Amino acid sequence: MDFSLTEEQRIIQQTARGLLARECPLALVRSAWENPAAALPLWQDHLRDWLVLAEQSLADTTLFMHEYGRALVPGVFFSSLLAAHAASTVGHMLSGAATVAVAASDGYWTPNEEATKHFVPSAGQVEHVVVVSGSPQTPRVAIVAAAQLAVTEVEHMDRLRPHYRVQSDGIDTGHAISPMAWQQVVHRALVTTAAELVGVGRYLLDSAVEYAKQRQQFGRPIGSFQGLQWQLVDTALELERAAAAVSWAAMCVDADAAEAPHAAHSAKLEAGSAARRCARTSLQVHGGIGYTWEHGLHYWLRRAYAGDAFMGPSDYHARCLADLLFAA
Amino acid sequence: MKLAFSAQDEAFREELLVFLEQHCPPQARTTRDMIGSDDVDANGVMVIPQWAREWQATLFDHGWMIPSYPRELGGRDATPIQTMLYLEALAQRGICRSLHFGGYAIVAPSLLEFGNAQQKALVPAAIRGDTVWCIGMSEPGAGSDLAALATRADDKGDYFMVNGQKVWTSYAMVASQCFCYVRTDRDAPKHRGISLLIIDMQSPGVEVRPLRHITGQAEFAEVFFTDVQVPRDNLVGELHGGWRITMGALAHERGGLWVEGVAGCLRAVDDIITMVKRLGLQHDASITGRVARLYSQSRSLRAMGWKGFASFAQGSSAPEHYYMKVAMAELQQTLYELGMDLQGAGLAITDRAVAQEGGRWQAAFFNALAATIGGGTSEIQRNVIAQQVLGLPRA
Repeated sequence: MDFSLTEEQRIIQQTARGLLARECPLALVRSAWENPAAALPLWQDHLRDWLVLAEQSLADTTLFMHEYGRALVPGVFFSSLLAAHAASTVGHMLSGAATVAVAASDGYWTPNEEATKHFVPSAGQVEHVVVVSGSPQTPRVAIVAAAQLAVTEVEHMDRLRPHYRVQSDGIDTGHAISPMAWQQVVHRALVTTAAELVGVGRYLLDSAVEYAKQRQQFGRPIGSFQGLQWQLVDTALELERAAAAVSWAAMCVDADAAEAPHAAHSAKLEAGSAARRCARTSLQVHGGIGYTWEHGLHYWLRRAYAGDAFMGPSDYHARCLADLLFAA
Repeated sequence: MKLAFSAQDEAFREELLVFLEQHCPPQARTTRDMIGSDDVDANGVMVIPQWAREWQATLFDHGWMIPSYPRELGGRDATPIQTMLYLEALAQRGICRSLHFGGYAIVAPSLLEFGNAQQKALVPAAIRGDTVWCIGMSEPGAGSDLAALATRADDKGDYFMVNGQKVWTSYAMVASQCFCYVRTDRDAPKHRGISLLIIDMQSPGVEVRPLRHITGQAEFAEVFFTDVQVPRDNLVGELHGGWRITMGALAHERGGLWVEGVAGCLRAVDDIITMVKRLGLQHDASITGRVARLYSQSRSLRAMGWKGFASFAQGSSAPEHYYMKVAMAELQQTLYELGMDLQGAGLAITDRAVAQEGGRWQAAFFNALAATIGGGTSEIQRNVIAQQVLGLPRA
């Protein structure tokens, strides 16, 4: 496996980093918390164009999503990217704001006949909803105008990416797709989410390391204390491992390798656990200041936990992986 | 980012596999975590069997001992990426190149960099295994704090007089030469008073006592030096300039070790899955969940190693490699412990006739306990990562 980046991939990484540093400052994050519409100009002027990532390698997407997670970008791009993958299974090219509605109340992306779809990100801000129904053996995909669906916001930790309950009763269930095609959508979504989580973790860890260098107590930087150093080291190790898991999974999915399903679940479980650990360590290192609303660290902490929960938390993906390993 | 390597690199791997198929003796395929390998004598003291000598020489003669080196040094001018493929191919099959890594992995690169012409001439035999080397680093009072070493070498003009003791010296009982770090200036700051000497193990005043470790075997020894006279020509590099060479030696030791460690973890995971099924435990979610997480960690660590390698090969620093040793060492211990846990109350049985899989999990566990201690403890590794990777201030 060759992890070296192509010139194009370096450009994606650097362009995304520059763009998001410039266009998504903490002030925008704060405004979007109060009003999701604050994130609209960023979507319309910049991010919508990046939906072409849905047609490129998953490796490219992970590079972008890492920066996206680090900047904690609010708005509809994330759900639209997942929707673009899902819609492509029925030959539809979605280029606008969209989301995917599939999960029953357990939150897992298992096609099912429940009329009420849960944990649907950004459903109140999008034009189209890709509604997935049927069963794991006979998945069906429909592209539905959001206006036709009753959506109800369900308050959750991460209001920068509001979650909704969607009623899909009475809609045309669209086209049947192969179970394999649906699995590929799931794998891409898992790795995309995992890449974002690594970026979220990266911000949390970097900010903790910086703070530990600056903050003085007992006449020295708190980062000189071994008890704190080792917490940061162990957290960093978990994050680097997750970052590698994500890149490996992207390569496996891109190559349609036999290990792709294993790698995708592994990436999500590693990234979800790592992001949560980064959040806890970062909060602990920041001490009282990080616990204030004003400081803003909590926005990343919320994305870390909500992102781990999305499509099922780490324990669920460990179970999925166990099923793959012990199936034979 | 892509899974496959270039056609040229894949061809390199193919050629290696054909060579291994034709030449690798079955004994070399025995993974070192098995008990009962024939590289110990009746007392559990290490010996180097004939097959191992022949195998190392065969690798050298075919240019497969250290592929990145030129022909005359047992290589074939392989690229860095080919070297990684080589190490991975061997490790995946549990094939060891040599039973003693000191000569080819530490002495050879150090002499090539720092030795004079006469000393460089010792390199081919060190790599081919014709001479066996031990490395005199740790001492009773200098473990993690290596620079505190106290074995003294007094400058007597045309020779040095060496007195002191080394410990945890691997292969000392079979070595003909010792690559020995000694204190030549007791007044200088501790890092600046160290020199490197080549000491003939047959010299009068050298005494080797095998040191049994907790597996019951003796691969290590204590080495005592009493008024040992070492010719001045045996000084490697500059007088008092040994610390620099030490650091290089440790880096050489660590360079490709992760490949072997990771392959060991991947094999252990596969074997655990097989054992879970054989014992009928595949419906116990508490066990399969643990296995799945360890599978995930092992695969991710392999990816982390390759990711670090890619940064390194492209000229960037590779923080990943700092993390590898500590992560692998702890993962190995966890894996072998799980292998024992699967055996229920039988986990403590070491009777090879009774224990699951001939007691290999218990043996591997005891072996792996050294992983968080040897070559820099996990605590030292964490301090190094905190300061050199994260840039945190010294305590």
